[in-house]
Amino acid sequence: MTYYKIMVNRQRMWMLFLLAISVLGWGFTDYESIFAGLIFGQVVGFFNLYLLQKKINVVGEKAANNQAAKSLGALSRFAGAILLVVVVLRFPEYFHLIAAIVGLMTPYIVIMIDFIFHHKETTTTKRGE
Amino acid sequence: MELLAAAIAVGLAALGAGIGVGLIASRTVEGISRQPELRGALQTTMFIGVALVEAVPIIAVVIAFMVM
Repeated sequence: MTYYKIMVNRQRMWMLFLLAISVLGWGFTDYESIFAGLIFGQVVGFFNLYLLQKKINVVGEKAANNQAAKSLGALSRFAGAILLVVVVLRFPEYFHLIAAIVGLMTPYIVIMIDFIFHHKETTTTKRGE
Repeated sequence: MELLAAAIAVGLAALGAGIGVGLIASRTVEGISRQPELRGALQTTMFIGVALVEAVPIIAVVIAFMVM
Protein backbone atom coordinates (compact mmCIF):
# COMPACT_ATOMS: atom_id res chain seq x y z
CA MET A 1 0.00 0.00 0.00
CA THR A 2 1.46 3.40 -0.89
CA TYR A 3 2.09 6.04 1.73
CA TYR A 4 -0.73 8.16 0.31
CA LYS A 5 -3.28 5.38 0.81
CA ILE A 6 -2.02 4.73 4.33
CA MET A 7 -2.45 8.44 5.13
CA VAL A 8 -5.94 8.50 3.55
CA ASN A 9 -7.09 5.49 5.59
CA ARG A 10 -5.68 6.98 8.78
CA GLN A 11 -7.48 10.30 8.25
CA ARG A 12 -10.78 8.56 7.46
CA MET A 13 -10.38 6.44 10.59
CA TRP A 14 -9.89 9.52 12.78
CA MET A 15 -12.84 11.31 11.17
CA LEU A 16 -15.06 8.32 11.88
CA PHE A 17 -13.84 8.24 15.50
CA LEU A 18 -14.70 11.91 15.93
CA LEU A 19 -18.07 11.38 14.26
CA ALA A 20 -18.79 8.51 16.66
CA ILE A 21 -17.88 10.70 19.65
CA SER A 22 -20.23 13.42 18.36
CA VAL A 23 -23.06 10.89 17.99
CA LEU A 24 -22.47 9.69 21.53
CA GLY A 25 -22.56 13.30 22.70
CA TRP A 26 -25.83 13.84 20.86
CA GLY A 27 -27.34 10.74 22.41
CA PHE A 28 -26.15 11.05 26.00
CA THR A 29 -25.98 14.78 26.74
CA ASP A 30 -28.48 17.62 26.93
CA TYR A 31 -26.70 19.66 24.23
CA GLU A 32 -28.52 18.05 21.33
CA SER A 33 -28.53 21.01 18.96
CA ILE A 34 -24.80 21.57 19.42
CA PHE A 35 -23.93 17.93 18.75
CA ALA A 36 -26.43 17.74 15.90
CA GLY A 37 -24.71 20.71 14.28
CA LEU A 38 -21.34 19.10 14.91
CA ILE A 39 -22.50 15.81 13.35
CA PHE A 40 -23.94 17.55 10.30
CA GLY A 41 -20.78 19.62 9.85
CA GLN A 42 -18.54 16.58 10.25
CA VAL A 43 -20.58 14.57 7.74
CA VAL A 44 -20.27 17.32 5.14
CA GLY A 45 -16.60 17.78 6.06
CA PHE A 46 -15.99 14.03 5.73
CA PHE A 47 -17.63 14.07 2.31
CA ASN A 48 -15.37 16.99 1.32
CA LEU A 49 -12.35 15.06 2.60
CA TYR A 50 -13.35 11.98 0.60
CA LEU A 51 -13.81 14.05 -2.59
CA LEU A 52 -10.44 15.79 -2.14
CA GLN A 53 -8.60 12.51 -1.50
CA LYS A 54 -10.19 10.87 -4.53
CA LYS A 55 -9.47 13.82 -6.82
CA ILE A 56 -5.83 14.06 -5.77
CA ASN A 57 -5.41 10.34 -6.37
CA VAL A 58 -6.82 10.77 -9.88
CA VAL A 59 -4.53 13.76 -10.55
CA GLY A 60 -1.51 11.78 -9.38
CA GLU A 61 -2.40 8.78 -11.56
CA LYS A 62 -2.92 10.94 -14.63
CA ALA A 63 0.33 12.82 -14.03
CA ALA A 64 2.23 9.53 -13.69
CA ASN A 65 0.75 8.40 -17.05
CA ASN A 66 1.46 11.79 -18.71
CA GLN A 67 -2.23 12.57 -19.08
CA ALA A 68 -4.10 15.76 -18.21
CA ALA A 69 -6.45 15.88 -15.23
CA LYS A 70 -9.55 18.00 -15.64
CA SER A 71 -9.91 19.67 -12.25
CA LEU A 72 -9.63 19.21 -8.52
CA GLY A 73 -13.38 19.57 -7.95
CA ALA A 74 -13.30 22.58 -5.62
CA LEU A 75 -16.81 23.57 -6.70
CA SER A 76 -18.26 20.37 -5.20
CA ARG A 77 -16.57 21.03 -1.88
CA PHE A 78 -17.76 24.65 -1.80
CA ALA A 79 -21.27 23.48 -2.68
CA GLY A 80 -21.22 21.10 0.29
CA ALA A 81 -20.28 23.96 2.61
CA ILE A 82 -23.05 26.13 1.14
CA LEU A 83 -25.60 23.33 1.57
CA LEU A 84 -24.56 22.98 5.21
CA VAL A 85 -25.00 26.69 5.91
CA VAL A 86 -28.34 26.90 4.08
CA VAL A 87 -29.81 23.93 5.99
CA VAL A 88 -28.47 25.08 9.37
CA LEU A 89 -29.81 28.60 8.86
CA ARG A 90 -33.16 27.13 7.79
CA PHE A 91 -33.43 24.94 10.92
CA PRO A 92 -31.71 26.86 13.73
CA GLU A 93 -33.72 25.09 16.43
CA TYR A 94 -32.19 21.71 15.44
CA PHE A 95 -28.63 22.66 14.44
CA HIS A 96 -26.22 25.03 16.15
CA LEU A 97 -24.48 27.17 13.54
CA ILE A 98 -21.05 27.54 15.16
CA ALA A 99 -20.95 23.82 15.97
CA ALA A 100 -21.77 23.04 12.33
CA ILE A 101 -18.92 25.25 11.14
CA VAL A 102 -16.54 23.64 13.63
CA GLY A 103 -17.66 20.24 12.31
CA LEU A 104 -17.02 21.37 8.75
CA MET A 105 -13.47 22.37 9.72
CA THR A 106 -12.79 19.12 11.64
CA PRO A 107 -11.23 17.28 8.66
CA TYR A 108 -8.74 20.10 8.19
CA ILE A 109 -7.76 19.91 11.86
CA VAL A 110 -7.37 16.13 11.46
CA ILE A 111 -5.18 16.67 8.38
CA MET A 112 -2.95 19.15 10.23
CA ILE A 113 -2.56 16.98 13.34
CA ASP A 114 -1.90 13.92 11.18
CA PHE A 115 0.78 15.87 9.30
CA ILE A 116 2.40 16.99 12.57
CA PHE A 117 2.66 13.42 13.83
CA HIS A 118 3.47 11.60 10.60
CA HIS A 119 5.30 13.98 8.25
CA LYS A 120 8.69 12.46 8.98
CA GLU A 121 7.58 9.25 7.30
CA THR A 122 7.65 10.99 3.90
CA THR A 123 11.19 12.31 4.20
CA THR A 124 13.92 9.99 3.06
CA THR A 125 17.04 12.11 3.41
CA LYS A 126 18.84 13.15 6.54
CA ARG A 127 20.57 16.46 7.19
CA GLY A 128 23.82 16.87 5.31
CA GLU A 129 22.97 14.36 2.61
CA MET B 1 -25.65 45.49 0.30
CA GLU B 2 -25.61 42.05 1.88
CA LEU B 3 -25.71 40.47 -1.56
CA LEU B 4 -22.82 42.63 -2.70
CA ALA B 5 -20.81 41.71 0.40
CA ALA B 6 -21.51 38.02 -0.11
CA ALA B 7 -20.59 38.23 -3.79
CA ILE B 8 -17.29 39.97 -3.04
CA ALA B 9 -16.48 37.44 -0.30
CA VAL B 10 -17.20 34.45 -2.52
CA GLY B 11 -15.36 35.96 -5.46
CA LEU B 12 -12.22 36.66 -3.47
CA ALA B 13 -12.44 33.22 -1.85
CA ALA B 14 -12.65 31.57 -5.26
CA LEU B 15 -9.74 33.67 -6.49
CA GLY B 16 -7.58 32.72 -3.54
CA ALA B 17 -8.44 29.05 -3.76
CA GLY B 18 -7.92 28.98 -7.49
CA ILE B 19 -4.51 30.61 -7.43
CA GLY B 20 -3.31 28.59 -4.43
CA VAL B 21 -4.51 25.22 -5.66
CA GLY B 22 -3.31 25.96 -9.18
CA LEU B 23 0.24 26.68 -8.00
CA ILE B 24 0.32 23.57 -5.81
CA ALA B 25 -1.12 21.30 -8.47
CA SER B 26 1.17 22.56 -11.22
CA ARG B 27 4.33 21.98 -9.17
CA THR B 28 3.14 18.56 -8.05
CA VAL B 29 2.24 17.43 -11.56
CA GLU B 30 5.62 18.63 -12.78
CA GLY B 31 7.34 16.71 -10.00
CA ILE B 32 5.38 13.52 -10.65
CA SER B 33 6.05 13.69 -14.38
CA ARG B 34 9.79 14.07 -13.70
CA GLN B 35 9.94 11.31 -11.09
CA PRO B 36 6.90 9.00 -11.18
CA GLU B 37 8.38 6.84 -8.43
CA LEU B 38 7.91 9.72 -5.96
CA ARG B 39 4.19 9.89 -6.68
CA GLY B 40 3.19 8.81 -3.16
CA ALA B 41 5.18 11.45 -1.30
CA LEU B 42 4.26 14.19 -3.79
CA GLN B 43 0.56 13.34 -3.63
CA THR B 44 0.71 13.44 0.15
CA THR B 45 2.32 16.87 0.16
CA MET B 46 -0.14 18.10 -2.47
CA PHE B 47 -3.08 16.83 -0.45
CA ILE B 48 -1.97 18.63 2.71
CA GLY B 49 -1.25 21.83 0.76
CA VAL B 50 -4.58 21.84 -1.07
CA ALA B 51 -6.51 21.11 2.13
CA LEU B 52 -4.86 23.98 4.00
CA VAL B 53 -5.25 26.40 1.07
CA GLU B 54 -8.92 25.55 0.64
CA ALA B 55 -9.87 25.75 4.32
CA VAL B 56 -9.93 29.54 4.49
CA PRO B 57 -11.91 30.04 1.23
CA ILE B 58 -14.49 27.55 2.51
CA ILE B 59 -14.84 29.58 5.70
CA ALA B 60 -15.21 32.72 3.53
CA VAL B 61 -17.99 31.04 1.53
CA VAL B 62 -19.74 30.04 4.75
CA ILE B 63 -19.52 33.58 6.11
CA ALA B 64 -20.78 34.97 2.80
CA PHE B 65 -23.90 32.85 3.00
CA MET B 66 -24.39 33.77 6.65
CA VAL B 67 -24.24 37.44 5.70
CA MET B 68 -26.85 36.84 3.00
